[in-house]
Amino acid sequence: MKSGVNNRLLVVWLVLSAITVGYFWMDRTVDHDGILRPSAVVTASAVMIALVKVRIIFREFMEVRKAPALLCRLTDAWIAIIAVSLLGCYFIGSAVG
Amino acid sequence: MNGRRELWFAWWTTVVFYQLFGVVFFVLTRTQPPPDPGWDASRVAQWFHDHHFGLLVGFGIMFLITGMTAPQNALIAYSMRRMSVSRAFGYSYLVLYSLSAIPGMLLMCIVLTVGAMRPDRDPELTSWLYDFAFLSFVGTMGVFLIGSLVWMLAILIDKNGVFPKWFGYLNLCNALTEVVVSPAWIFKHGVLAWNGLIAWWIDMVVFGIYTGVFLMQLRKMIQREDFGDGPLPDSAPDQESVPSTMASSAS
Amino acid sequence: MTDKSMKFVPGQPDMWAFVLFETLVFTSYFAVYLIFRTASPQLYLQSQAHLSLRIGIFNTIVLLASSWAVARCVQASRDGRFASASTNAYLATALGFVFLGSKIFEWAKVIRSGFGFSTNEFFMHYYFLTAIHCLHVLIGFVALGVIIYQLRSPARRSQELVETGATYWHTVDFLWVLIFAMLYVVR
Repeated sequence: MKSGVNNRLLVVWLVLSAITVGYFWMDRTVDHDGILRPSAVVTASAVMIALVKVRIIFREFMEVRKAPALLCRLTDAWIAIIAVSLLGCYFIGSAVG
Repeated sequence: MNGRRELWFAWWTTVVFYQLFGVVFFVLTRTQPPPDPGWDASRVAQWFHDHHFGLLVGFGIMFLITGMTAPQNALIAYSMRRMSVSRAFGYSYLVLYSLSAIPGMLLMCIVLTVGAMRPDRDPELTSWLYDFAFLSFVGTMGVFLIGSLVWMLAILIDKNGVFPKWFGYLNLCNALTEVVVSPAWIFKHGVLAWNGLIAWWIDMVVFGIYTGVFLMQLRKMIQREDFGDGPLPDSAPDQESVPSTMASSAS
Repeated sequence: MTDKSMKFVPGQPDMWAFVLFETLVFTSYFAVYLIFRTASPQLYLQSQAHLSLRIGIFNTIVLLASSWAVARCVQASRDGRFASASTNAYLATALGFVFLGSKIFEWAKVIRSGFGFSTNEFFMHYYFLTAIHCLHVLIGFVALGVIIYQLRSPARRSQELVETGATYWHTVDFLWVLIFAMLYVVR
Protein backbone atom coordinates (compact mmCIF):
# COMPACT_ATOMS: atom_id res chain seq x y z
CA MET A 1 0.00 0.00 0.00
CA LYS A 2 2.84 2.32 0.84
CA SER A 3 4.47 1.62 -2.51
CA GLY A 4 1.11 2.15 -4.24
CA VAL A 5 0.79 5.60 -2.80
CA ASN A 6 4.44 6.42 -3.51
CA ASN A 7 4.09 5.19 -7.07
CA ARG A 8 1.10 7.42 -7.57
CA LEU A 9 3.04 10.43 -6.30
CA LEU A 10 5.94 9.62 -8.60
CA VAL A 11 3.62 9.34 -11.59
CA VAL A 12 2.07 12.69 -10.67
CA TRP A 13 5.49 14.34 -10.59
CA LEU A 14 6.44 12.78 -13.93
CA VAL A 15 3.20 13.97 -15.54
CA LEU A 16 3.65 17.51 -14.18
CA SER A 17 7.27 17.59 -15.37
CA ALA A 18 6.28 16.30 -18.79
CA ILE A 19 3.67 19.03 -19.15
CA THR A 20 6.31 21.56 -18.11
CA VAL A 21 8.75 20.32 -20.74
CA GLY A 22 5.87 20.50 -23.19
CA TYR A 23 6.17 24.29 -22.95
CA PHE A 24 9.50 23.94 -24.74
CA TRP A 25 7.79 22.47 -27.74
CA MET A 26 5.13 25.18 -27.63
CA ASP A 27 7.83 27.84 -27.54
CA ARG A 28 9.59 26.28 -30.56
CA THR A 29 6.50 26.09 -32.73
CA VAL A 30 5.47 29.68 -32.05
CA ASP A 31 8.77 31.41 -32.83
CA HIS A 32 9.74 29.21 -35.73
CA ASP A 33 10.16 32.02 -38.26
CA GLY A 34 12.21 34.10 -35.83
CA ILE A 35 9.74 36.98 -35.61
CA LEU A 36 8.31 37.61 -32.20
CA ARG A 37 4.61 38.14 -32.24
CA PRO A 38 1.94 38.15 -29.56
CA SER A 39 -0.36 35.18 -29.65
CA ALA A 40 -3.70 34.86 -27.93
CA VAL A 41 -3.67 31.11 -28.59
CA VAL A 42 -0.32 30.61 -26.88
CA THR A 43 -1.28 32.82 -23.98
CA ALA A 44 -4.62 31.17 -23.40
CA SER A 45 -3.04 27.73 -23.69
CA ALA A 46 -0.23 28.64 -21.33
CA VAL A 47 -2.70 29.84 -18.71
CA MET A 48 -4.98 26.83 -19.07
CA ILE A 49 -2.11 24.35 -18.98
CA ALA A 50 -0.73 26.05 -15.89
CA LEU A 51 -4.14 25.77 -14.24
CA VAL A 52 -4.32 22.08 -15.12
CA LYS A 53 -1.00 21.66 -13.32
CA VAL A 54 -2.23 23.68 -10.35
CA ARG A 55 -5.34 21.52 -10.14
CA ILE A 56 -3.21 18.36 -10.20
CA ILE A 57 -1.05 19.80 -7.42
CA PHE A 58 -4.19 20.60 -5.40
CA ARG A 59 -5.77 17.19 -5.87
CA GLU A 60 -2.72 14.93 -5.64
CA PHE A 61 0.05 16.65 -3.69
CA MET A 62 -2.22 18.67 -1.43
CA GLU A 63 -4.61 15.72 -1.01
CA VAL A 64 -7.75 17.62 -1.94
CA ARG A 65 -8.85 14.37 -3.58
CA LYS A 66 -9.37 12.91 -0.12
CA ALA A 67 -10.80 16.07 1.38
CA PRO A 68 -14.40 16.97 2.17
CA ALA A 69 -16.54 18.25 -0.69
CA LEU A 70 -16.29 21.85 0.51
CA LEU A 71 -12.52 21.99 0.00
CA CYS A 72 -12.81 20.28 -3.40
CA ARG A 73 -15.35 22.83 -4.52
CA LEU A 74 -13.41 25.76 -3.09
CA THR A 75 -10.18 24.82 -4.86
CA ASP A 76 -12.02 24.23 -8.12
CA ALA A 77 -13.79 27.56 -7.70
CA TRP A 78 -10.41 29.21 -7.15
CA ILE A 79 -9.07 27.71 -10.36
CA ALA A 80 -12.11 29.07 -12.16
CA ILE A 81 -11.58 32.51 -10.60
CA ILE A 82 -7.94 32.56 -11.69
CA ALA A 83 -8.85 31.45 -15.21
CA VAL A 84 -11.56 34.06 -15.58
CA SER A 85 -9.42 36.87 -14.11
CA LEU A 86 -6.33 36.16 -16.15
CA LEU A 87 -7.98 35.34 -19.45
CA GLY A 88 -10.45 38.16 -18.92
CA CYS A 89 -7.70 40.70 -18.30
CA TYR A 90 -5.71 39.48 -21.26
CA PHE A 91 -8.57 39.53 -23.73
CA ILE A 92 -10.11 42.77 -22.50
CA GLY A 93 -6.64 44.35 -22.44
CA SER A 94 -5.98 43.18 -25.99
CA ALA A 95 -9.32 44.48 -27.20
CA VAL A 96 -8.97 47.89 -25.56
CA GLY A 97 -5.23 48.48 -26.17
CA MET B 1 -17.23 43.23 34.94
CA ASN B 2 -15.61 46.63 35.16
CA GLY B 3 -12.38 45.47 33.57
CA ARG B 4 -14.34 44.84 30.41
CA ARG B 5 -15.52 48.46 30.30
CA GLU B 6 -11.94 49.68 29.91
CA LEU B 7 -11.35 47.19 27.13
CA TRP B 8 -14.46 48.43 25.34
CA PHE B 9 -13.24 52.01 25.76
CA ALA B 10 -9.98 51.07 24.05
CA TRP B 11 -11.83 49.25 21.28
CA TRP B 12 -14.24 52.09 20.58
CA THR B 13 -11.38 54.58 20.61
CA THR B 14 -9.72 52.48 17.92
CA VAL B 15 -12.85 52.31 15.80
CA VAL B 16 -13.49 56.04 16.07
CA PHE B 17 -9.85 56.77 15.32
CA TYR B 18 -10.02 54.81 12.05
CA GLN B 19 -13.19 56.63 11.00
CA LEU B 20 -11.54 60.00 11.66
CA PHE B 21 -8.34 58.84 9.98
CA GLY B 22 -10.35 57.89 6.90
CA VAL B 23 -12.10 61.25 6.76
CA VAL B 24 -8.89 63.23 7.32
CA PHE B 25 -6.77 61.40 4.76
CA PHE B 26 -9.33 60.54 2.09
CA VAL B 27 -11.72 63.49 2.25
CA LEU B 28 -10.18 66.53 3.94
CA THR B 29 -6.56 66.38 2.87
CA ARG B 30 -7.06 64.08 -0.12
CA THR B 31 -3.62 62.64 0.44
CA GLN B 32 -5.06 59.18 -0.04
CA PRO B 33 -5.11 57.90 -2.76
CA PRO B 34 -1.73 59.60 -3.10
CA PRO B 35 -1.05 62.07 -5.89
CA ASP B 36 1.42 61.32 -8.65
CA PRO B 37 5.14 61.00 -7.84
CA GLY B 38 5.96 61.83 -11.45
CA TRP B 39 4.88 65.48 -11.27
CA ASP B 40 7.31 68.32 -11.76
CA ALA B 41 7.85 71.08 -9.19
CA SER B 42 5.29 73.51 -10.58
CA ARG B 43 2.59 70.86 -10.74
CA VAL B 44 3.35 69.90 -7.14
CA ALA B 45 3.11 73.54 -6.08
CA GLN B 46 -0.26 73.63 -7.82
CA TRP B 47 -1.39 70.62 -5.78
CA PHE B 48 -0.43 72.34 -2.53
CA HIS B 49 -2.32 75.41 -3.66
CA ASP B 50 -5.45 73.39 -4.46
CA HIS B 51 -5.35 71.53 -1.17
CA HIS B 52 -4.20 74.38 1.04
CA PHE B 53 -7.03 74.50 3.57
CA GLY B 54 -7.77 70.80 3.45
CA LEU B 55 -4.17 70.04 4.40
CA LEU B 56 -4.02 72.54 7.25
CA VAL B 57 -7.39 71.67 8.75
CA GLY B 58 -7.16 67.93 8.17
CA PHE B 59 -3.71 67.49 9.62
CA GLY B 60 -4.51 69.91 12.41
CA ILE B 61 -7.21 67.45 13.44
CA MET B 62 -4.73 64.60 13.00
CA PHE B 63 -2.28 66.15 15.45
CA LEU B 64 -5.07 66.42 18.01
CA ILE B 65 -6.23 62.83 17.66
CA THR B 66 -2.90 61.04 17.28
CA GLY B 67 -3.09 60.08 20.95
CA MET B 68 -5.99 57.79 20.10
CA THR B 69 -3.54 55.30 18.70
CA ALA B 70 -2.31 54.62 22.23
CA PRO B 71 -5.38 52.66 23.42
CA GLN B 72 -5.28 50.71 20.13
CA ASN B 73 -1.69 49.62 20.62
CA ALA B 74 -2.41 48.90 24.27
CA LEU B 75 -5.39 46.71 23.39
CA ILE B 76 -3.38 44.66 20.91
CA ALA B 77 -0.53 44.31 23.40
CA TYR B 78 -3.14 43.29 25.99
CA SER B 79 -4.35 40.56 23.67
CA MET B 80 -0.83 39.16 23.68
CA ARG B 81 -0.65 39.39 27.44
CA ARG B 82 -3.80 37.25 27.63
CA MET B 83 -2.05 34.59 25.54
CA SER B 84 0.07 31.79 26.96
CA VAL B 85 3.17 33.29 25.31
CA SER B 86 5.88 35.36 26.93
CA ARG B 87 5.03 38.94 27.94
CA ALA B 88 7.94 39.99 25.75
CA PHE B 89 5.69 39.76 22.70
CA GLY B 90 3.28 42.40 23.99
CA TYR B 91 6.09 44.66 25.12
CA SER B 92 7.93 44.42 21.77
CA TYR B 93 4.75 45.24 19.92
CA LEU B 94 4.09 48.28 22.10
CA VAL B 95 7.58 49.64 21.57
CA LEU B 96 7.53 48.99 17.82
CA TYR B 97 4.15 50.52 17.17
CA SER B 98 4.67 53.49 19.46
CA LEU B 99 7.69 54.43 17.41
CA SER B 100 6.31 53.51 14.01
CA ALA B 101 3.58 56.16 14.07
CA ILE B 102 6.29 58.75 13.56
CA PRO B 103 7.63 57.74 10.17
CA GLY B 104 4.48 55.84 9.33
CA MET B 105 2.03 58.66 9.70
CA LEU B 106 3.12 61.78 11.58
CA LEU B 107 6.05 62.73 9.36
CA MET B 108 3.76 63.12 6.38
CA CYS B 109 1.29 65.17 8.41
CA ILE B 110 4.03 67.48 9.68
CA VAL B 111 5.85 67.85 6.38
CA LEU B 112 2.74 68.53 4.30
CA THR B 113 1.55 71.05 6.88
CA VAL B 114 4.94 72.78 6.59
CA GLY B 115 4.51 72.74 2.82
CA ALA B 116 1.02 74.20 2.98
CA MET B 117 1.93 76.85 5.50
CA ARG B 118 3.79 79.13 3.08
CA PRO B 119 2.16 78.98 -0.36
CA ASP B 120 4.75 81.26 -1.97
CA ARG B 121 7.71 79.05 -1.12
CA ASP B 122 10.10 78.11 -3.93
CA PRO B 123 8.42 75.23 -5.88
CA GLU B 124 11.65 73.21 -5.82
CA LEU B 125 11.60 73.24 -2.01
CA THR B 126 7.89 72.40 -1.99
CA SER B 127 8.55 69.52 -4.34
CA TRP B 128 11.20 68.23 -1.92
CA LEU B 129 8.71 68.37 0.93
CA TYR B 130 6.19 66.50 -1.21
CA ASP B 131 8.62 63.66 -1.90
CA PHE B 132 9.71 63.50 1.73
CA ALA B 133 6.10 63.34 2.91
CA PHE B 134 4.81 60.66 0.60
CA LEU B 135 7.89 58.50 0.68
CA SER B 136 7.85 58.49 4.45
CA PHE B 137 4.16 57.62 4.59
CA VAL B 138 3.96 54.99 1.86
CA GLY B 139 7.54 53.81 1.76
CA THR B 140 7.97 53.12 5.45
CA MET B 141 5.18 50.59 5.64
CA GLY B 142 8.00 48.30 6.67
CA VAL B 143 7.96 49.61 10.24
CA PHE B 144 4.57 48.04 10.62
CA LEU B 145 5.82 44.81 9.11
CA ILE B 146 7.76 43.65 12.17
CA GLY B 147 4.84 44.40 14.47
CA SER B 148 2.59 42.22 12.31
CA LEU B 149 5.13 39.41 12.50
CA VAL B 150 5.36 39.70 16.28
CA TRP B 151 1.58 39.44 16.60
CA MET B 152 1.51 36.57 14.09
CA LEU B 153 4.10 34.57 16.00
CA ALA B 154 2.33 35.17 19.29
CA ILE B 155 -1.00 34.02 17.84
CA LEU B 156 0.48 30.88 16.27
CA ILE B 157 2.21 29.64 19.40
CA ASP B 158 -0.51 30.74 21.80
CA LYS B 159 -2.21 27.88 23.65
CA ASN B 160 -5.00 29.99 25.11
CA GLY B 161 -6.80 30.28 21.80
CA VAL B 162 -7.20 34.05 22.06
CA PHE B 163 -7.38 34.31 18.28
CA PRO B 164 -7.97 31.66 15.60
CA LYS B 165 -4.84 30.54 13.78
CA TRP B 166 -6.07 31.90 10.45
CA PHE B 167 -5.86 35.37 11.94
CA GLY B 168 -2.20 34.71 12.68
CA TYR B 169 -1.70 33.85 9.02
CA LEU B 170 -3.60 36.98 7.98
CA ASN B 171 -0.94 38.96 9.85
CA LEU B 172 1.58 37.32 7.56
CA CYS B 173 -0.46 38.44 4.53
CA ASN B 174 -0.41 41.96 5.92
CA ALA B 175 3.33 41.82 6.54
CA LEU B 176 3.96 40.59 2.99
CA THR B 177 1.82 43.33 1.55
CA GLU B 178 3.98 45.86 3.40
CA VAL B 179 7.04 44.42 1.68
CA VAL B 180 5.38 44.88 -1.71
CA VAL B 181 5.24 48.63 -1.09
CA SER B 182 9.00 49.07 -0.75
CA PRO B 183 9.71 49.47 -4.51
CA ALA B 184 7.91 52.82 -4.21
CA TRP B 185 11.35 54.27 -3.36
CA ILE B 186 12.55 53.42 -6.87
CA PHE B 187 9.64 54.03 -9.21
CA LYS B 188 8.08 57.37 -10.07
CA HIS B 189 5.65 55.83 -12.54
CA GLY B 190 3.81 52.59 -12.99
CA VAL B 191 2.29 49.98 -10.76
CA LEU B 192 5.03 50.04 -8.12
CA ALA B 193 5.09 53.81 -7.61
CA TRP B 194 3.71 55.19 -4.34
CA ASN B 195 0.32 55.66 -6.03
CA GLY B 196 0.62 52.54 -8.18
CA LEU B 197 -1.94 49.85 -8.87
CA ILE B 198 0.07 47.25 -6.95
CA ALA B 199 1.95 49.31 -4.37
CA TRP B 200 -1.07 51.35 -3.30
CA TRP B 201 -4.43 50.09 -4.61
CA ILE B 202 -4.05 46.32 -4.18
CA ASP B 203 -2.06 46.92 -0.99
CA MET B 204 -4.92 49.02 0.40
CA VAL B 205 -7.43 46.28 -0.31
CA VAL B 206 -5.35 43.80 1.70
CA PHE B 207 -4.72 46.33 4.45
CA GLY B 208 -8.40 47.29 4.57
CA ILE B 209 -9.47 43.67 4.93
CA TYR B 210 -6.82 43.16 7.61
CA THR B 211 -7.98 46.20 9.58
CA GLY B 212 -11.63 45.18 9.42
CA VAL B 213 -10.77 41.68 10.52
CA PHE B 214 -8.54 42.69 13.43
CA LEU B 215 -11.22 45.04 14.74
CA MET B 216 -13.71 42.14 14.68
CA GLN B 217 -11.23 39.79 16.33
CA LEU B 218 -10.48 42.26 19.13
CA ARG B 219 -14.20 42.71 19.68
CA LYS B 220 -14.68 38.94 19.95
CA MET B 221 -11.78 38.72 22.37
CA ILE B 222 -13.31 41.33 24.67
CA GLN B 223 -16.68 39.58 24.57
CA ARG B 224 -15.08 36.25 25.48
CA GLU B 225 -12.68 37.67 28.08
CA ASP B 226 -12.88 35.90 31.43
CA PHE B 227 -9.88 37.68 32.98
CA GLY B 228 -8.27 34.34 33.75
CA ASP B 229 -4.95 32.88 32.70
CA GLY B 230 -6.08 29.80 30.92
CA PRO B 231 -7.65 29.19 27.54
CA LEU B 232 -10.09 31.90 26.54
CA PRO B 233 -13.62 30.45 26.51
CA ASP B 234 -15.27 30.15 23.13
CA SER B 235 -18.30 32.22 23.94
CA ALA B 236 -19.03 35.24 26.09
CA PRO B 237 -19.52 34.48 29.79
CA ASP B 238 -22.95 35.39 31.17
CA GLN B 239 -23.68 38.55 33.12
CA GLU B 240 -22.71 37.28 36.59
CA SER B 241 -19.30 36.59 35.21
CA VAL B 242 -16.95 34.84 37.53
CA PRO B 243 -13.62 33.78 36.05
CA SER B 244 -14.53 30.47 34.50
CA THR B 245 -13.63 27.59 36.79
CA MET B 246 -13.35 25.34 33.76
CA ALA B 247 -10.72 27.64 32.33
CA SER B 248 -8.65 27.74 35.49
CA SER B 249 -8.80 24.00 36.03
CA ALA B 250 -7.81 23.37 32.42
CA SER B 251 -4.66 25.51 32.69
CA MET C 1 -7.26 -0.81 4.56
CA THR C 2 -8.03 2.88 4.35
CA ASP C 3 -11.69 3.70 4.55
CA LYS C 4 -12.12 5.58 1.29
CA SER C 5 -15.06 7.55 2.63
CA MET C 6 -13.00 9.05 5.49
CA LYS C 7 -12.55 12.58 4.22
CA PHE C 8 -10.14 14.86 6.00
CA VAL C 9 -8.71 18.34 5.57
CA PRO C 10 -4.92 18.10 5.37
CA GLY C 11 -3.37 20.23 8.08
CA GLN C 12 -4.99 23.22 9.74
CA PRO C 13 -7.98 24.59 7.81
CA ASP C 14 -6.53 27.97 8.83
CA MET C 15 -3.54 27.41 6.56
CA TRP C 16 -5.94 26.66 3.70
CA ALA C 17 -7.63 30.02 4.32
CA PHE C 18 -4.22 31.67 4.06
CA VAL C 19 -3.40 29.74 0.88
CA LEU C 20 -6.62 30.76 -0.82
CA PHE C 21 -6.19 34.40 0.22
CA GLU C 22 -2.55 34.64 -0.95
CA THR C 23 -3.55 33.01 -4.23
CA LEU C 24 -6.06 35.80 -4.83
CA VAL C 25 -3.43 38.42 -4.05
CA PHE C 26 -1.00 36.85 -6.52
CA THR C 27 -3.77 36.53 -9.10
CA SER C 28 -4.32 40.29 -8.81
CA TYR C 29 -0.59 40.84 -9.49
CA PHE C 30 -0.80 38.56 -12.57
CA ALA C 31 -3.92 40.33 -13.78
CA VAL C 32 -2.16 43.71 -13.56
CA TYR C 33 0.85 42.26 -15.42
CA LEU C 34 -1.35 40.91 -18.22
CA ILE C 35 -3.25 44.17 -18.64
CA PHE C 36 -0.01 46.13 -18.96
CA ARG C 37 1.42 43.47 -21.23
CA THR C 38 -1.42 43.85 -23.72
CA ALA C 39 -0.75 47.59 -23.78
CA SER C 40 2.88 47.17 -24.94
CA PRO C 41 3.12 43.71 -26.51
CA GLN C 42 6.33 44.32 -28.49
CA LEU C 43 8.26 45.67 -25.50
CA TYR C 44 7.27 42.67 -23.40
CA LEU C 45 8.00 40.19 -26.22
CA GLN C 46 11.46 41.64 -26.90
CA SER C 47 12.34 41.69 -23.21
CA GLN C 48 10.95 38.23 -22.56
CA ALA C 49 13.22 36.84 -25.28
CA HIS C 50 16.15 37.57 -22.97
CA LEU C 51 14.88 35.09 -20.41
CA SER C 52 16.02 31.53 -20.64
CA LEU C 53 13.13 29.10 -21.01
CA ARG C 54 15.57 26.30 -20.19
CA ILE C 55 16.34 27.72 -16.75
CA GLY C 56 12.65 28.40 -16.19
CA ILE C 57 11.72 24.80 -16.99
CA PHE C 58 14.55 23.53 -14.80
CA ASN C 59 13.38 25.68 -11.89
CA THR C 60 9.80 24.48 -12.29
CA ILE C 61 10.78 20.81 -12.36
CA VAL C 62 13.02 21.23 -9.30
CA LEU C 63 10.24 22.89 -7.31
CA LEU C 64 7.74 20.25 -8.45
CA ALA C 65 10.20 17.61 -7.22
CA SER C 66 10.46 19.30 -3.85
CA SER C 67 6.66 19.25 -3.62
CA TRP C 68 6.75 15.57 -4.50
CA ALA C 69 9.23 14.98 -1.67
CA VAL C 70 7.01 16.86 0.78
CA ALA C 71 3.98 14.81 -0.31
CA ARG C 72 5.98 11.63 0.28
CA CYS C 73 7.02 12.99 3.66
CA VAL C 74 3.40 13.52 4.70
CA GLN C 75 2.48 9.98 3.60
CA ALA C 76 5.41 8.45 5.45
CA SER C 77 4.66 10.42 8.59
CA ARG C 78 1.03 9.34 8.45
CA ASP C 79 2.14 5.67 8.23
CA GLY C 80 4.48 6.13 11.19
CA ARG C 81 7.61 5.76 9.04
CA PHE C 82 9.32 8.76 10.62
CA ALA C 83 12.83 8.10 9.34
CA SER C 84 11.59 8.06 5.76
CA ALA C 85 9.50 11.15 6.45
CA SER C 86 12.54 13.02 7.77
CA THR C 87 14.62 12.02 4.76
CA ASN C 88 11.96 13.32 2.43
CA ALA C 89 11.69 16.56 4.37
CA TYR C 90 15.45 17.09 4.07
CA LEU C 91 15.24 16.22 0.37
CA ALA C 92 12.51 18.82 -0.14
CA THR C 93 14.63 21.42 1.65
CA ALA C 94 17.68 20.57 -0.45
CA LEU C 95 15.65 20.89 -3.65
CA GLY C 96 14.29 24.19 -2.36
CA PHE C 97 17.87 25.42 -2.00
CA VAL C 98 18.65 24.23 -5.52
CA PHE C 99 15.70 26.33 -6.72
CA LEU C 100 16.95 29.32 -4.75
CA GLY C 101 20.48 28.92 -6.09
CA SER C 102 19.22 28.61 -9.63
CA LYS C 103 17.10 31.73 -9.20
CA ILE C 104 20.03 33.76 -7.93
CA PHE C 105 22.15 32.48 -10.81
CA GLU C 106 19.45 33.51 -13.26
CA TRP C 107 19.08 36.98 -11.73
CA ALA C 108 22.83 37.48 -11.90
CA LYS C 109 22.82 36.41 -15.54
CA VAL C 110 19.98 38.78 -16.47
CA ILE C 111 21.53 41.67 -14.53
CA ARG C 112 24.88 41.15 -16.23
CA SER C 113 23.08 41.29 -19.57
CA GLY C 114 22.09 44.78 -18.54
CA PHE C 115 18.49 44.28 -17.46
CA GLY C 116 17.75 45.57 -13.99
CA PHE C 117 14.65 46.20 -11.88
CA SER C 118 13.98 49.59 -13.45
CA THR C 119 15.16 48.81 -17.00
CA ASN C 120 11.67 48.52 -18.40
CA GLU C 121 8.13 47.47 -17.50
CA PHE C 122 8.59 43.80 -18.29
CA PHE C 123 11.70 43.48 -16.16
CA MET C 124 10.00 45.38 -13.35
CA HIS C 125 7.28 42.71 -13.30
CA TYR C 126 9.85 39.95 -13.71
CA TYR C 127 11.95 40.98 -10.73
CA PHE C 128 8.92 41.89 -8.65
CA LEU C 129 7.10 38.59 -9.16
CA THR C 130 10.17 36.39 -8.81
CA ALA C 131 11.40 38.30 -5.76
CA ILE C 132 8.09 38.20 -3.92
CA HIS C 133 7.89 34.51 -4.77
CA CYS C 134 11.41 34.01 -3.42
CA LEU C 135 10.33 35.66 -0.20
CA HIS C 136 7.58 33.04 0.02
CA VAL C 137 10.20 30.35 -0.59
CA LEU C 138 12.26 31.67 2.32
CA ILE C 139 9.18 31.55 4.54
CA GLY C 140 8.68 28.04 3.15
CA PHE C 141 12.04 27.05 4.60
CA VAL C 142 10.62 28.00 8.00
CA ALA C 143 7.62 25.74 7.30
CA LEU C 144 9.95 22.89 6.29
CA GLY C 145 11.98 23.59 9.40
CA VAL C 146 8.85 23.15 11.51
CA ILE C 147 8.17 19.83 9.77
CA ILE C 148 11.72 18.59 10.34
CA TYR C 149 11.63 19.73 13.96
CA GLN C 150 8.31 17.96 14.55
CA LEU C 151 9.53 14.71 13.00
CA ARG C 152 12.73 14.64 15.03
CA SER C 153 11.39 13.70 18.43
CA PRO C 154 8.68 11.18 19.37
CA ALA C 155 7.48 13.75 21.92
CA ARG C 156 6.23 15.97 19.07
CA ARG C 157 5.33 14.56 15.63
CA SER C 158 2.08 16.42 15.22
CA GLN C 159 0.67 15.12 11.95
CA GLU C 160 -1.43 18.28 11.75
CA LEU C 161 1.62 20.53 11.85
CA VAL C 162 3.47 18.39 9.29
CA GLU C 163 0.50 18.60 6.94
CA THR C 164 0.09 22.33 7.58
CA GLY C 165 3.73 23.00 6.66
CA ALA C 166 3.32 20.78 3.60
CA THR C 167 0.25 22.71 2.48
CA TYR C 168 2.27 25.94 2.62
CA TRP C 169 5.16 24.45 0.64
CA HIS C 170 2.84 23.14 -2.09
CA THR C 171 1.43 26.65 -2.39
CA VAL C 172 4.91 28.02 -3.06
CA ASP C 173 5.15 25.38 -5.78
CA PHE C 174 1.87 26.08 -7.55
CA LEU C 175 2.38 29.84 -7.35
CA TRP C 176 5.65 29.31 -9.20
CA VAL C 177 3.86 27.21 -11.84
CA LEU C 178 1.65 30.24 -12.51
CA ILE C 179 4.51 32.76 -12.41
CA PHE C 180 6.53 30.63 -14.81
CA ALA C 181 3.64 30.55 -17.27
CA MET C 182 3.11 34.32 -16.95
CA LEU C 183 6.72 35.41 -17.39
CA TYR C 184 8.27 32.77 -19.62
CA VAL C 185 5.53 31.31 -21.78
CA VAL C 186 2.72 33.79 -22.29
CA ARG C 187 2.99 35.73 -25.57
